[in-house]
Amino acid sequence: MAKDCSTPSTWGRSDMSEPAFQSFAQWYDGHTAIKHEGEAIWDGGGLLRLRGASGSLEVPFADLEFGEERLGETVYRRASEPDFRLILPADLPPGLASKLPERQTYGAWVDKLGLGKATAIFAAVSVAAVALFMTAPEWLGPRIPQSWERNLGDAMVGDFGNRLCHTRDGDRALTKLLAKVDPEQEKVRAGVANIGMVNAVALPGGQVLLFDGLVQDAESPEELAGVLGHEVGHVRERHVMTALLRQFGLTILLSGANTTVGDTMFGLAAMGYSRDAEREADEYSRERMAESRISPLGAARFFERLGGDDEGLTGWVSSHPGPAERAKAYRAAARGKTFEPVLTAAEFQALKDMCQQDPDVESFDLFF
Amino acid sequence: MHYENNDADSAFGFDGNWQDFAKIALPNLLLTIVTLGIYRFWATTRERKYLWAHTRFVDERLEWTGKGMELFIGFVLVMLLFFLPFSLIGMVSEALVARGQALWAVLLTAGSFFFILYLTGVAQFRALRYRMSRTRWRGIRGGSNDQGFKFGWSYLWKTIVGQLPMGLLVPWSMTSLWNERWNKMSFGPYHFDADAQSGDIFGRYLLFYLAPILLFVAMAIAAVTGGGIGFGLGGEAGTGVGVGLGIAIALFVWFFALGLIAAAFYAKYFREVVGSARWKDLRFGFEASTADWIKLYLGDFVLVVLTLGIGFIFLSYRHWKFFIVHMQADGNILLDELTQSTTRTAKHGEGLLDAFDMGAI
Repeated sequence: MAKDCSTPSTWGRSDMSEPAFQSFAQWYDGHTAIKHEGEAIWDGGGLLRLRGASGSLEVPFADLEFGEERLGETVYRRASEPDFRLILPADLPPGLASKLPERQTYGAWVDKLGLGKATAIFAAVSVAAVALFMTAPEWLGPRIPQSWERNLGDAMVGDFGNRLCHTRDGDRALTKLLAKVDPEQEKVRAGVANIGMVNAVALPGGQVLLFDGLVQDAESPEELAGVLGHEVGHVRERHVMTALLRQFGLTILLSGANTTVGDTMFGLAAMGYSRDAEREADEYSRERMAESRISPLGAARFFERLGGDDEGLTGWVSSHPGPAERAKAYRAAARGKTFEPVLTAAEFQALKDMCQQDPDVESFDLFF
Repeated sequence: MHYENNDADSAFGFDGNWQDFAKIALPNLLLTIVTLGIYRFWATTRERKYLWAHTRFVDERLEWTGKGMELFIGFVLVMLLFFLPFSLIGMVSEALVARGQALWAVLLTAGSFFFILYLTGVAQFRALRYRMSRTRWRGIRGGSNDQGFKFGWSYLWKTIVGQLPMGLLVPWSMTSLWNERWNKMSFGPYHFDADAQSGDIFGRYLLFYLAPILLFVAMAIAAVTGGGIGFGLGGEAGTGVGVGLGIAIALFVWFFALGLIAAAFYAKYFREVVGSARWKDLRFGFEASTADWIKLYLGDFVLVVLTLGIGFIFLSYRHWKFFIVHMQADGNILLDELTQSTTRTAKHGEGLLDAFDMGAI
């Protein structure tokens, strides 16, 4: 606390009375609203002496902090007395000015660097951060253990209760189909969802859903093998985890800018795979079909149908490469090879009847 | 010190200018962009320092002592304490829906809606408290010993009750919440007193109920005249175009009228609530008329549009100046008795309010 002296102390040195080291001053003690007016004088050592009609006090220069600049005045504070205020004229005599703390404008970092340099450094760091956030999912996604993804997926979407279609023969046919396009020991979990849309999805946690609409639309089991292989490809190539991480990263990145904008962007950029990811999934599907001697012509015909009739199919197609291009790739894969039927006619029919013959399947109205 | 209010010399004065403010706001915008928004807490602080320093109350300037770091910490706290749990709740309720537990999901969503409403009230209170505690006048600050958690409950139930009878109790909820939070605030050793009455603003509020009738009449007139003119110009086909055009014009006029009604209501509301506030022997007043408010917002609109959006950086300046220029006060202040506030101060800033993007007063 500042020491108040009621009697003016004697001046020890002659140079203190020189105008270069003194100035008009106003101050508040931080305890009452009473303004003190007088002179601020450097004592020749480390103290600033404030002398006025209503009292005097001494303030160590080391205790003074720059407060702010205002019209023709500079305000200083004290580190030891948070509400003490010393108001000095902006055009101080140079001797006194050199003893006082420097002014701050933008905050400590920017003031030290200068506005131009700070802007450049901040911009570089920001670009690097954005680049890291954009690319991190690509290399981080495949490194996250499959078991973690499975747990995460279970927490997020669960097992869909009773909304997947099941019949004894249908399940058997689906298992057979899956075995041919997913060679791994631990299979992805595949199901036929009771939804009329022509669509198929790969969900977090290694779940693949064929929508009943797509099953009904299929003209051969090879078409279903192609689509199922594609979705299994998304799971095996870790596209699902990558997309999840990208979504998560965007949420964090945009939360810094503005929360409402963040929400809007969040919706726009949510999920969805890149075109490269779609090509990878297609390649995965073709390789598995070649291994299992399944004809890719079914898948080719499926894409040719998609290309001819856009209506109702945009959901699955929009983010994918053009259907014509994909059909061509599947046709090329068929050249010079012989194939075996992937399912019997009865098995294919069992898949088609799955949703109709399941007595207690529920609809998906709330979820999709 | 005695202060008499008269037109020549108001108790409040503002002597900033937009050129000086631009020297603060433009580098702020630049730094905010290159830091992906993180600098905005320091930007806000620099703007407030300027605005406060150019605001005079009686014979001394105000001083803003808030720090950018406080606002930043407040923001980080809100992110950790609220947004993380809320995104978890969102995921949990999606997971519940996926498992067929729709009822639980609905309950969870409703619960978080009420919780957000509660937090909005807490945020409003704490932001006002933060601003009072960071404002210095003659070295003296304001504040409140209340944390605002009780105000959150009042905000929750009064907002809901205000809406229930066709929104008729909204003026009551607005004034009573104003009184409640200002009665908890103090500056130096003295409390504020507020006893705003909803009855005085109720008449203006009823104008909102006229709006739909106004719309109907305007649409009918516009459609008929538009149709008539259209028929005159282009026969049968012209009638349809004329009616459509008439309705479009009527809708435009209606939105404009709704804006006018809102301006008329808020002008009256602020005159009432500020006019009912006292601080020891000082009475306050706010003199902005409906026309002043309309000019303010039309000015904002023109400024932002003409500068292709850059002008938005001047809005805080315009609004603060508007607020100060129209503030009045008269009465006595005994400087000898005006001692430092003993209220506790929060170490972090208005994080919640910032997150909900609201004003403090």
